Amino acid sequence: MTGFGRTLGIALLAALPVLGQQNPEADRFFEMKIRPLLRNNCVGCHNDQKPTSGLSLESLGGVRNGGNRGPVAVPGKPEESRIIQAVEYNGALKMPPPGKLQDDQIADLKHWVELGMPWPDEQAAHAAAKRKGVDHWAFKAPVRYDPPKVRDGAWVRNPIDNFILARLEKEGWKPSPEADRVTLIRRLSLDLLGLPPSPAEVDQFVADRRPDAYERLVDRMLASPHYGEKWGRHWLDAARYADTNGFGFDNPRVMWRYRDWVIQALNQDMPFDEFTVKQLAGDLLPNASVNDKIATGFQRNTMINQEGGVDQEQYRIEAIFDRVATTGSVWLGLTIGCAQCHDHKYDPISQREYYELFAFFNNQEEPVMRVVPQADVERYRRITADFQVEKLKIEERIAARNAGLVDRMIAWEKGLTTEQRAKLPGNVQDILKIPPEKRELAQVEDLEKYYNEEDEQYQDLLHQREILIAAPSSRNPNQYTAMVLEEREQPRKSYVLIRGDFLKHGVEVTPGTPAVLPPLEAAHAYPTRLDLARWLVSPRNPLTSRVMVNRIWQHYFGRGIVKTSEDFGTQGEPPSHPELLDWLATEFVRDGWHLKALHRLIVTSATYRQSSNVTPDMRDRDPEDILMERAPRYRVDAEVVRDIGLAASGLLNPEIGGPSVFPPQPPGITDLSRGNMPWIVATGKDRYRRGMYTFWKRTSPYPSLLVFDEPTADTTTVRRTRSNSPMQALTTLNDEAFVEVARALAARVLREAPPDDSGRLRYAFRLCLARDPDAWEKDSLATTFETLLQRYRQEPGEARALEPAGVREDAPRFAAWFGVARMLLNLDETITRE
Amino acid sequence: MQSELIKDQTRRYFFQQCWSGVGLVGLASLLNDQLFAEPTDPMAPKPPQFAPKAKRVIFLNMSGGPSQLELFDYKPKLIEMHGKPIPKSVVGDQRYAFINPESPLFGTQRKFHRYGECGMEISDLLPHTASIADEIALVKSCHTDLFNHAPAELFMNTGSGRPGRPSMGSWVTYGLGSEARGLPGFVVLHSTARGWNPGIQGGASCWSSGFIPSTYQGVVLRNQGDPVLFLSNPKGVDVQVQRDTVSAVNRFNQHRLEVTGDPEIATRIASFETAYRMQSVAPEVCDITREPKHILEMYGAPPGRASFANNVLLARRLIEHGVRFINVYHKGWDHHGTDPNQGLITTNLEEVCKDVDQACGALIKDLKQRGMLQDTLVVWGGEFGRTPMGQAPRPNHPLEFQGRDHHPNAFTVWLAGGGIKGGQTIGETDELGFHVVKDAVHVHDLQATVLYLLGLDHTKLTYKYMGRRFRLTDVSGEVVKKLLA
Repeated sequence: MTGFGRTLGIALLAALPVLGQQNPEADRFFEMKIRPLLRNNCVGCHNDQKPTSGLSLESLGGVRNGGNRGPVAVPGKPEESRIIQAVEYNGALKMPPPGKLQDDQIADLKHWVELGMPWPDEQAAHAAAKRKGVDHWAFKAPVRYDPPKVRDGAWVRNPIDNFILARLEKEGWKPSPEADRVTLIRRLSLDLLGLPPSPAEVDQFVADRRPDAYERLVDRMLASPHYGEKWGRHWLDAARYADTNGFGFDNPRVMWRYRDWVIQALNQDMPFDEFTVKQLAGDLLPNASVNDKIATGFQRNTMINQEGGVDQEQYRIEAIFDRVATTGSVWLGLTIGCAQCHDHKYDPISQREYYELFAFFNNQEEPVMRVVPQADVERYRRITADFQVEKLKIEERIAARNAGLVDRMIAWEKGLTTEQRAKLPGNVQDILKIPPEKRELAQVEDLEKYYNEEDEQYQDLLHQREILIAAPSSRNPNQYTAMVLEEREQPRKSYVLIRGDFLKHGVEVTPGTPAVLPPLEAAHAYPTRLDLARWLVSPRNPLTSRVMVNRIWQHYFGRGIVKTSEDFGTQGEPPSHPELLDWLATEFVRDGWHLKALHRLIVTSATYRQSSNVTPDMRDRDPEDILMERAPRYRVDAEVVRDIGLAASGLLNPEIGGPSVFPPQPPGITDLSRGNMPWIVATGKDRYRRGMYTFWKRTSPYPSLLVFDEPTADTTTVRRTRSNSPMQALTTLNDEAFVEVARALAARVLREAPPDDSGRLRYAFRLCLARDPDAWEKDSLATTFETLLQRYRQEPGEARALEPAGVREDAPRFAAWFGVARMLLNLDETITRE
Repeated sequence: MQSELIKDQTRRYFFQQCWSGVGLVGLASLLNDQLFAEPTDPMAPKPPQFAPKAKRVIFLNMSGGPSQLELFDYKPKLIEMHGKPIPKSVVGDQRYAFINPESPLFGTQRKFHRYGECGMEISDLLPHTASIADEIALVKSCHTDLFNHAPAELFMNTGSGRPGRPSMGSWVTYGLGSEARGLPGFVVLHSTARGWNPGIQGGASCWSSGFIPSTYQGVVLRNQGDPVLFLSNPKGVDVQVQRDTVSAVNRFNQHRLEVTGDPEIATRIASFETAYRMQSVAPEVCDITREPKHILEMYGAPPGRASFANNVLLARRLIEHGVRFINVYHKGWDHHGTDPNQGLITTNLEEVCKDVDQACGALIKDLKQRGMLQDTLVVWGGEFGRTPMGQAPRPNHPLEFQGRDHHPNAFTVWLAGGGIKGGQTIGETDELGFHVVKDAVHVHDLQATVLYLLGLDHTKLTYKYMGRRFRLTDVSGEVVKKLLA
């Protein structure tokens, strides 16, 4: 017996509690020791739904009733209790059947019977949990507060500012002054499009003296197709989008049509409720279109384990676990996944409720659908025909090689010298020792396998075929597919899985939603994913709108109003501005769930337009800027780090959508993971696509994106980390892809800038930072250029290595421009949103 | 997260790290205590939670699942019952990746002897490991939850069978930082036995930092090109140009720091200086040709090719320079006996043993002669073990055993060095080697023990994410007291 149990025993003996009576300490003992023990070992068979031998050990009622053979225990008398005899493996009845419990578990059970079998009243306990839940702010419907009154009314541009300023004024603080126009256009451009503004766009905005110049700029940007890319990428984090299956055999998959669906939906400003319904249950909509089905790709972003010898059912269930957890985090801001193995420790979600949610996702097939848009029909047919020809060509070469193989092998065997034989693998030598006519087929086949493997040309042919079939190339007809969900006619049965083990079924469950939230309204007796989706975006759901506006807020301000944007439960951080959160959430729904309107509201606020400069005083009183006394200043996301360089250098290929691409990465990166997929570096325009189109291989992600915290996409991410490390510095300094950008930037400056050094330095600076250099920076740029020029004049060999193609500048001067460009691209400010 | 990182600058960091060639005039004036009151560069050394026994770890990961029955766990009864079906009472409802659970038993053909003063039983396949028997603690009673490679490797490295959690090295550097200057704190080395595709099954997820900052993710030292990714200057950039560039970048950054007051810029400046230093330090440390001939011979490490022995020697050089945690992977232990060229437990196992054995023995002896064994923890083991039942190359010839299937119920690892009581064997399996019957050590127990030896309590080294305090050992794990010196 454990020390805990023993102390308790002494304390309780005097009281001799009776079955069902309440006693907090006995309850604790029960909850810590007995309930988990029963649940993990007994309830799988003895539950209320399916009481094997008439016995349920799942509830107080069940224990009271006993089983088909009568009472299960005599309270206070373990030695007379059948349950104890059974677990001790004393008589004919040995429980649990798979194996005897541990000694200390048996001791706990005995002790529990000795104590009179205390069992906390289930209903009382559940009611208490529910009360706790109902009291929690996030489970109550948002209230639309009136924007509070403020003293400095002139500062306010929209109601957001009332909430922010009122709070600041309460502290006696003032907001920061508005950022200058150049900072504002760069901030807006990075925030809304993920791209820096061109010098021409900056000049235009700075010169625009109309009173609504800023609002016009915002509208122009919201109408840009790059908006869908920038905000689509945030959504793809949550969707755990990737281009491979994950796990050991990390093979390519065709998922980009889903990615493009997201970009398009956002660009069309599809209302968020519709956006939600399509991704959860587009296939179940009446007359579902091809696009509606593609949207269900959200659910197919789960990993697939293709390792030999895996139990497919195990990983089908794993994928559903992931879907439940993802739905919880992305829409409800709840850590529902915690209830997979046991009732949620902090939030009112029981394990059973978890499996009721699970049941929604347990009723589908996971097919690959052919998608050939009308405009592509001809192209598709050509590609398919070409592909078949290519495949046939390789197969013909394979067949040609295999013709006469038998004779060649005989000749090979005859030609082997004794020394050559001695060097062969042991099993091959053994087979060769058998006279040919006495060999079995299997032995001959082993021999052939060895012979084939030694033939490099043949192996190369096989490899070519493999690549042709699997390669994620735009010339492969497999790109005309999408991974989707499809509901089964006959629902699968769902069970509580004991401790999340897919082999241990507990009670059967049907689809349902947690009791702490408003009830589900289902069209049929057996609710579907479509009902779940509609429930998520029902105006009565207190969480979804709050969770979504909070996440949008987080992407702008680096921190959500609820900092723990993934957890609105009782363990999450309370909101810094609860009334503002509720106002935004209700405004979002009132306005028809339009994301563009929400973006416009936020970025046109005075709060958003503040300067991000910080004084030691400000840092001292509010280091995290919780009260938003200033705008945040932070390093941009991984993809944007890449995109800024591409845009500044003029290399950027702004094409939107399509199959994922393979920009340069050092050789050997994918060797450390499996999956037969060559990284054939793009040589044409695809080399310069935005970071978000880079082929994402889960087990060997693109290094220069990973180093800047792009999530690996194994599970949902609603909040990225933002690290700052020497490996990042090495990447931007030395990665060939960044060096290429620096060379292109130098060439662009020489091509486009006024032909004097100071004009060129200013232009290069503005391409990277948008603003003009200040006096110190002007001097320092000139000094840097001179220093590098001197250096390259001394070492013309180094300069020539930079191969200035098509530039009318001598090698050392070009090299010095390259050096300046590279320096600018490496500045903190270049990859920072101020 | 933002706030945690914003705190990540310190005056101490500046004076320790951020110093060399560039004149950061004016920086000192910004370093007032208010601005930089909160400690720490994320990788700066941090004190452990209690007095540690070891300061660093070399984890020798035998990828594929070595056969404990050929190497460490001698079972005369298994030899006696060779060819007979395994009793149902032993197997229960155990499932397997490839074989039928009723497959016949396979007695080992290896010879076992007792070695060292402690008389540790080891097979003839590992003579060099046998020579360090008195230094190592052999744990014959390890068990894991998973029986496919990728999930089991992830489990061993991250405590979870699904990708996405921080790995052991990430947790350790998150907890302790690193003393390495100009080198990553957490390094991954890898090699592959003849005949196997490179690439371990768990992939980069095995050294991922998961949801903790990417600063703590394992850095793979590469066998081709730069040892660290992007370590060399690009074409057309020599050392002086690189120095000038980094200096200029940092002058501009420092200027911006004065304008904006954002201390994150100070961290960026430090990152660039460390990166620059790494460019000169790392190639030198990674160059094993600088080792004397007798050391190269001791490890069996001919320079110039990618091998486990070279990597083990490199690992020793790295820890001498303060690297905190190193994974040395060697792939090629998956001996099912079904592939005549690579998977035979007879010939191919012998080969892969030769790949690793000498270097393992050399590492322990070398660390000892340098006085570093006492505070360096060395762990050797795979992701699971192999079945007492045999697997044959041809389905119709069940008795022509050439291999074994994956076995999660029992496998052997060894530990040596900092805080480990050497010369002992812990745990026992049943007479067929199927189940652990004494002193079971779960993977989470092993992980708890590694952290304990480093002065970290596995229940207290946590990171809050998605509403939960995650830890390496998930929700279980007990320190294996018997292992401790």
